[in-house]
Amino acid sequence: MTETRNMKRPMSPRRKRYAAGIGLALVVGVVLGAVMQRGETGGGLTIFSNAPLTPGFATGAAILWIVGMIVSLAIYHRAVDDHEERAYLWAGLAAWYTFTLSAPTWWVLHRASLAPAPDAMLLFAGALAVNLIVWLWLKYR
Amino acid sequence: MNNKLKVLRAMRNWSQAELADRLDVSRQAVNAIETGKYDPSLPLAFKLARLFEMPIEEIFDDGHEGSDND
Repeated sequence: MTETRNMKRPMSPRRKRYAAGIGLALVVGVVLGAVMQRGETGGGLTIFSNAPLTPGFATGAAILWIVGMIVSLAIYHRAVDDHEERAYLWAGLAAWYTFTLSAPTWWVLHRASLAPAPDAMLLFAGALAVNLIVWLWLKYR
Repeated sequence: MNNKLKVLRAMRNWSQAELADRLDVSRQAVNAIETGKYDPSLPLAFKLARLFEMPIEEIFDDGHEGSDND
């Protein structure tokens, strides 16, 4: 097949930067998630709970998240091409719309005692899931 | 927007990955342009025109006949 020839050519500098950006973001996420999960009790996916954390761990996690994400996103944005940048921007917009629709709705329902208190991490996870789905669809469809 | 990218690539016996490397974009970008799911930016269109040594309007067709004579 024409499309599958030369699959083992060396990676271009752009592809190396791309892989480095994605890889670094994954490492930051996996390390944070693993350490957080290990430090919690109760079994299951307690990483998604709101259980208290030690101040030292919380400070370290916050710094690692911010620095790791800024560095990996800077590398990623230097490496993406037009097509993926467009997918990224539409995915980001879809995630933002998800947040702007869900957060105020949940908040007003809570104020009328029709829903539990809004959970910032659930809102974040929902927006992130929409972001990922739209990005994958636009990039690989 | 229609384009002749797949034909031009086939005439040179290039794979999508080879063309992507020559344009410094991803293979998915080449595939998306070829299948009409994505219209490239102007800089990428110029890059394609230089690579295939032909004007942009000979590679891409926006469906408006004779629009260059308006």
